[in-house]
Amino acid sequence: MKRRSFLKMSCCLGAGLALSGLGLTLAPVAAYADDMKKADALRTAVQSTTVCCYCSVGCGLICSVDKASGKIFNIEGDPEHPVNEGALCAKGAGLYQVSAANEHRLMKVLYRKPGSDKWEEKDWNFAISRIAELMKKERDKSFIVNNEKGQMVNRVQTMSLMGSSNVLSEECWATTQFARGLGFTYIDHQARV
Amino acid sequence: MTNHWIDLQHSDVILIQGSNAAENHPISFKWVMRAKEKGGKVIHVDPRFTRTSAKADVYAPIRSGTDIAFVGGMIKYIIENKKYFEEYLLNYTNAPFIVGEKFSFKDGLFSGYDPGNRKYDKSSWALEKDENGIPKRDDTLKHPRCVLNMLYQHYKRYDLDKVSAITGTPKEKLLEVYELFASTGVKDRAGTVMYALGQTQSTIGVQKIRSLCIMQLLLGNIGICGGGVNALRGEPNVQGSTDHAILYHYLPGYMPVPRAGKQTVEEYIKAATPASKDPRSANWYANTPKYVVSLLKSWFGDVATPENGFGYSWLPKCDDGQNCDVLHMIDDMYAGKIKGYFCIGQNPCGSLPNSNKVRAAMTKLDWMVHVNIFDNESASFWKGPGLDPKKVKTECFLLPATANLEKDGSQATSGRWMQWLHRAVDNPGDCLSTGAIVTRLMHKIQEMYKKEGGAMPDGLLNMRMDYLTPDGKEFDALKVARRINGEFERDVKIGDKEYKKGQPVPGFGLLQADGSTSCGNWLCSGSFSLDGKNLMDRRGKEDPTGLGLYPNWSYCWPMNRRIVYNRASVDLQGRPYNPKRALLQWRDGKWVGDVADGPWPPMGMEGGKLPFIMKPDGVASLFGPGLGDGPFPEHYEPLESPLKRNLMSKQHNSPIITIFKSDKDKVASADPRYPLVLTTYSATEHWCSGAITRWQSWLTEAMPQVYVEISEELAKERGFKNGEWVTVESARGRIDAVAMVTPRLRPLTVDGKATHLVGMTYNYGWLHPKDSGDTCNLLTTFVGDGNAGTPEYKACMVNINRKA
Amino acid sequence: MSDGKSILVDTSRCTGCRGCQVACKQWNDLPGTRTKQAGTYQNPPDFSCDTYKIVRFAEGKKEGSREPYWYFFADMCRHCMNPPCMSASDKDEIVQDEATGAIVYTKETKNIDFETARSSCPYDVPRQNPDSKVLSKCTMCIDRMRSGLKPACVLSCPTAMEFGEREAILKLAEERVAELKKIWPKAKAIDADEVRVIFIVTDDPKKYHTHAQA
Repeated sequence: MKRRSFLKMSCCLGAGLALSGLGLTLAPVAAYADDMKKADALRTAVQSTTVCCYCSVGCGLICSVDKASGKIFNIEGDPEHPVNEGALCAKGAGLYQVSAANEHRLMKVLYRKPGSDKWEEKDWNFAISRIAELMKKERDKSFIVNNEKGQMVNRVQTMSLMGSSNVLSEECWATTQFARGLGFTYIDHQARV
Repeated sequence: MTNHWIDLQHSDVILIQGSNAAENHPISFKWVMRAKEKGGKVIHVDPRFTRTSAKADVYAPIRSGTDIAFVGGMIKYIIENKKYFEEYLLNYTNAPFIVGEKFSFKDGLFSGYDPGNRKYDKSSWALEKDENGIPKRDDTLKHPRCVLNMLYQHYKRYDLDKVSAITGTPKEKLLEVYELFASTGVKDRAGTVMYALGQTQSTIGVQKIRSLCIMQLLLGNIGICGGGVNALRGEPNVQGSTDHAILYHYLPGYMPVPRAGKQTVEEYIKAATPASKDPRSANWYANTPKYVVSLLKSWFGDVATPENGFGYSWLPKCDDGQNCDVLHMIDDMYAGKIKGYFCIGQNPCGSLPNSNKVRAAMTKLDWMVHVNIFDNESASFWKGPGLDPKKVKTECFLLPATANLEKDGSQATSGRWMQWLHRAVDNPGDCLSTGAIVTRLMHKIQEMYKKEGGAMPDGLLNMRMDYLTPDGKEFDALKVARRINGEFERDVKIGDKEYKKGQPVPGFGLLQADGSTSCGNWLCSGSFSLDGKNLMDRRGKEDPTGLGLYPNWSYCWPMNRRIVYNRASVDLQGRPYNPKRALLQWRDGKWVGDVADGPWPPMGMEGGKLPFIMKPDGVASLFGPGLGDGPFPEHYEPLESPLKRNLMSKQHNSPIITIFKSDKDKVASADPRYPLVLTTYSATEHWCSGAITRWQSWLTEAMPQVYVEISEELAKERGFKNGEWVTVESARGRIDAVAMVTPRLRPLTVDGKATHLVGMTYNYGWLHPKDSGDTCNLLTTFVGDGNAGTPEYKACMVNINRKA
Repeated sequence: MSDGKSILVDTSRCTGCRGCQVACKQWNDLPGTRTKQAGTYQNPPDFSCDTYKIVRFAEGKKEGSREPYWYFFADMCRHCMNPPCMSASDKDEIVQDEATGAIVYTKETKNIDFETARSSCPYDVPRQNPDSKVLSKCTMCIDRMRSGLKPACVLSCPTAMEFGEREAILKLAEERVAELKKIWPKAKAIDADEVRVIFIVTDDPKKYHTHAQA
């Protein structure tokens, strides 16, 4: 076998370097220019830490955002995180596909009229006003101040709420307030199932 | 988890039962494999040989739903062979306490059963107390009614023959597991349990877990490094969502839900606050009044006053005994009693049992509001299989939410670490966070009530949700986090220290019952320092114990304690039972190591307190009268089972489960038309109903379509080929799937008869990708655990035929 | 000059979580392809121009036992010390990086004979893009290595993969095999002297994958 020439590039390979502040230089090699773009971009990216949105191990990840476009272009495990130490499973490693880069992400309020066979795009004003109207109507109609025994119960049982263990704790707490403030008793979510 | 992920590395024996950790919590295996490298052994008990079994030292197959029999045999083995840790049992559990004479167990039923109401009168399940109200004890453990002997009386029935006949686990495997795990009942060895939905999704799920707790207490494995009973929770923030009570039956911080029988805050507090007469018991829940009042203050602010009971009367109240859990909710929805439905980040049409019933229930709604990051089978139920959208009258909203990547806030891991997330990018499109959606909606409804009036507006108008960012658009998670942590509502002096109004309460020990503090969840109090620092956002890597506790990484409830009940890891003088893994020790008049479960000195010293501070008696309960179906776990068959009789007793199913009776709730147990046991689960590459992961090409590429795992023996019997399409059918529904013929499943001998077990995931749905198939929940039974209501996804009966 | 870099894939520790398979797609911006369920967890079924790394799943019954086994083989280019595939290359279409030893297929591989390259590879790794004709395979994440980062698959791996100087990895492999041999006499590091990506197995390599061993 004929031995081929080597790509000659200066290379500094330190194990365990933090993701930011690498400050390495590369000799430009035409054959490789394209393939180095993403690694180069990591050096100038705005990076922030997040936590995985699947199981409850709570693996840490680093999101890299391109300064110019404001978009996430890479998500990988956080090597500093004491639990996962950079590791991720198939779902965590693919978290990029949960970002706005996924064409299937919902971006608009969708509304479906009774009996309609399609979603229509709406704005938040419509949604908030209409939902509030429906909720108030149902609450006013079905609110129970006293139960059959005459005990004060201040509840509504014709509306119910489910979810979610896939939102942040502060949102969970606000959701609890929302449901109990309106008088819901049918409140549940994934924790039970 | 009593312990945490990194701690798994310290176990000498890891029993994974009712969990497929390598697949469903893959990164946990970083630490499981590390334990193995240090010489630890891994046992996997599961109906299927999975990626977890592939890495285990011992794999024991088990019939789905029979874990109590399996663990009951272990309890018998431990007691008979004196493998228990006697010093721990005597000092830290109720083993020496005396069970009252009225308690009995006969033919599968404990004393006090009322068959008409399917409920127990629990008054006979009591411990004997002395004249001072302190439990009587016999430290010689000779008294025939001492808890340890009663425990043995109960479990000596679970002999190897019987256990093997029920579980299908070969006897030699049972013994191998029992011997190996029981080897941890000594001071210098630790055994841990990793469990998940394989235990909980059962009509006897809570008791299955209690049986594991009893086993661990006998071996002295609770509260120690490398030990514990570790629930591997299934969702990214299910710990947080549970802590904050998106559940009908309690309030944030695990305080009981207000019920009609408790009309005033005083009545509520009296009933919710346990008492102990034992001076050695810390009885932590004696602090309940402080937590309740502080919660009401955080919700209602200045309008919550002592005069109006801090607004307690405004809270909705269930009737006494009323059950509003998810199965009752769907049952009522199907009966047309529920008109409006708010569904956040969940896909019930794929993830709840008996999907045909759930999907039909949705059509009865007047309106549904769905909040999610992708469309799913629930939001779009109205165009689902077999439905004519024109005939579905439900008005539907699908609101676009931001994903984790786009939010600030915290998530609590299974190990109770509250970790802060940082928003990486702005909201895409019109997306809003769930927090902003519920807050803006609440504001709108409040505005309408202010303007127009309406039914009982007080509680609604007083509910304080002032969390929007200054532009009125988004949710200020940091502000909410601070409110959850708690703040001083006025300048106060506690002890000799003064606190200013508006300062964060730096720990729940400072919460007050007079309205001077607010706190949205007492467990989280301490997540901010007095000077306002968000401790959830810490990234310190210091590890002073060398055990991987990382006390300066994020914040861990309660009080940054990384392993709960840790005072059970030391002897009466505060010396660690295992000095090589010294989680805690009493040195120079103070505790060193993890944050101790309370400041009191060791038990053997003046002022010492018992370690299980959340229990009124201060000790862990081998005899546990708190649950609805008995103080000792007992095996009952799943609602649908291959057996006509329960080999343990005349009581076939759990005596306290709710039997739903709609026309969709067909049950076919021990029915020759459905001879195969089905168990259901999720794969690594998808998440739950696949509502998020099926939209991702890297994941659907790896796991594209619905499949049913079947043994080579069953395939041979029925003539199925690997990769061909088959139809799986139960009394409730049918579904097509690709047959995955595998040596990893095998028939088990149950009650002397070969019993086939098959398995499916609930990862798929009709919406996307179009050829991916549908959910296995079309087959499962609509029945829940007697205590917790968790559906019995793990066991039902089906048949399989070649696809027509 | 150092002896370059190496990767160790210890299949005895691999849990088959496929973090590596997806991390590779993520870093290299490779698409997820449409696949079918064919009665196995393994998907996509094989390497392609869109897939440089796949976990191969192999199952059966242990010899003389009812107990099953399930082996996971996180297959990828071995980055041979003396790569046979370079025999298909005349003009630096395939190059070997001096610093790391990584074997890299440049865009110019569209000009070389695919069948020669593929058939020369004892591990059946090279693939071709049917449209552009460019040959493709794992790059050992040369771009990441040059930035001081671990290859994407190694970073994502919770249990089984190690990356480092070749000398250190060889030593690690040797120690690990010695340890494993105590339980599994067939344990070995496959073709360790010839390749940079060294797989440790505990059973006959053929049971993992037809092309596990040269």
